[in-house]
Amino acid sequence: MDFIVAGFIKAIELLVSGDSSTWTAVLATLQVSTCSMLLSIGAGLPCGFVIGYFDFKYKKHVRTLLDTLLALPTVFIGLAVYAFISHQGPLGEMGLLFTLTGIAIGQTILAFPIVTAITASTIENIDQDLKLTLVTLGAGKRHIIATCLWEVRYGILAAAVTAYGRVLTEVGISMMVGGNIKYQTRTVTTAIALETSKGLFADGIALGIVLIMIAFIVNLSLSFLRRQ
Amino acid sequence: MTKINLTYHLKNIRHYYGNTKVLDIEDLKIEKGSITGLIGPNGSGKTTLLKLLAFAGRPTAGNILYNGRQEFPFSPTIRSKVTLLTQKPYLLKRTVFENIVYGLKIRKDKEYLETRVKKALSTVGLDYQDFAPRKWHELSGGEAQRVAMAARLILKPEVLLLDEPIASVDAKSAKLIREASLKARDTWGTTLVIASHDLQWLYSISDRQLSLFKGNIFSTGIENIITGPFEKINGESLVKTLGDGQAITLKGPAPKVCTAVIKKDSISIDLKKQAGDSGLNQLSGLLASMLLEKKSGHIMATVSIHDLSFVLRLTPDKISRLNLYPGKKVILRFHSNEVEWI
Repeated sequence: MDFIVAGFIKAIELLVSGDSSTWTAVLATLQVSTCSMLLSIGAGLPCGFVIGYFDFKYKKHVRTLLDTLLALPTVFIGLAVYAFISHQGPLGEMGLLFTLTGIAIGQTILAFPIVTAITASTIENIDQDLKLTLVTLGAGKRHIIATCLWEVRYGILAAAVTAYGRVLTEVGISMMVGGNIKYQTRTVTTAIALETSKGLFADGIALGIVLIMIAFIVNLSLSFLRRQ
Repeated sequence: MTKINLTYHLKNIRHYYGNTKVLDIEDLKIEKGSITGLIGPNGSGKTTLLKLLAFAGRPTAGNILYNGRQEFPFSPTIRSKVTLLTQKPYLLKRTVFENIVYGLKIRKDKEYLETRVKKALSTVGLDYQDFAPRKWHELSGGEAQRVAMAARLILKPEVLLLDEPIASVDAKSAKLIREASLKARDTWGTTLVIASHDLQWLYSISDRQLSLFKGNIFSTGIENIITGPFEKINGESLVKTLGDGQAITLKGPAPKVCTAVIKKDSISIDLKKQAGDSGLNQLSGLLASMLLEKKSGHIMATVSIHDLSFVLRLTPDKISRLNLYPGKKVILRFHSNEVEWI
């Protein structure tokens, strides 16, 4: 029990003293998660809208596939991305292995089905009266789409928050694709895994606290936006 | 040739949901600047008809001519002229002001918005200062209904379609919605089609009433629908026995057909039963209500006979001669031949 208490005290010391290895991991985490979130929202939002809004052949199959992708293990994504960007892989020449870009690609793959599936469900659950109301107020297709998205903005925010939570806390992709290189590709989660394996619980707990704080700040900002 | 003073001309409209036919209208004309009331039980096709009139959907078969021209559903031109207020109006998750100007903004009409919103809100009896900044969830059901009405009125539509506009509002709101509808017609020549279960309110506002039942339209207004089961006797008569022991005998066709329509003009009223004619139905009931039919000056009387309600049209003379008043015991009379089967 003592080591946990000591861990908390050490955590506060590390954060307050501005420990460079801790803060580079924090920055790396923020960089890759923000980048992967922007990419997955950019791709997932329109895809989710199309799947949720329109009826088309094989829609059910697409939904099933999407739901399956929700359960993709991060180590599998890490493995797949590794295979593609390693020197022997088709994208090997791009030199993405053991870079933050490589991690961001993997995390985008992780977040994309989450954003898409939640957006599709949100759009599917739009009140049927909304579309009828918009049609009968004279809205054209462009206005209907824009207004529908605005009406379900909280649902889409929820999709973003859920996906952000997932990429922020994943270890598999960051470890396999990033390689956990100190001051370069080490993220908060890979650092926690490493420090814990070395028996340095205090450092691990410190980084854990940082992770929780990031998640808290993101959610606080979103709930502020929601109130607006 | 469709005359130009018609707003709508519906020809051979059939509409299906899956395999179920929900509308079957051979010919229906709605004049410009008129107020048409739609009456009918739930599931009779009123909302479907209103959606088709709003061009929010396309009939499975048939044509809808608008101002003598066939319009393509969902076309921007038609959408700017016709608007529908649904039974449960959807307010956008914005302020009242933003809800009301939404239709104008998408028409890129952004002049004097504040003045116009003030006017639209005052038409439906809401104060601008109090209501314009409110959010959608800060309104009661009646207020939301009136805000939705204001959002339609501000568009000065050629056609205003109202689906159960007073279903969930108080008497004051119902009165304001009535006044706003009449004002739209009188000021801009708006054509209104209104579906409502509140006959008294509907008769007080509409020029004519159409009755719908199972997708069939009766241009003579509300009619008496008697649903089965019927018992077949003597090969050609069908009998429906009411809970109080009285029986309605009707000349029947094929046994599969189980809904009878007895036109209100085929029914007469008296205070005593008449001897003779065995083909005559004479049913004892209570006069439940009386409504003035604005256009004809006749009175629409409703007579309750056990769990059925019969509507018939009476002249003011007849009412004073028989000294009729709600609650009075009366005899309804109609011949067993005077029936249509649908």
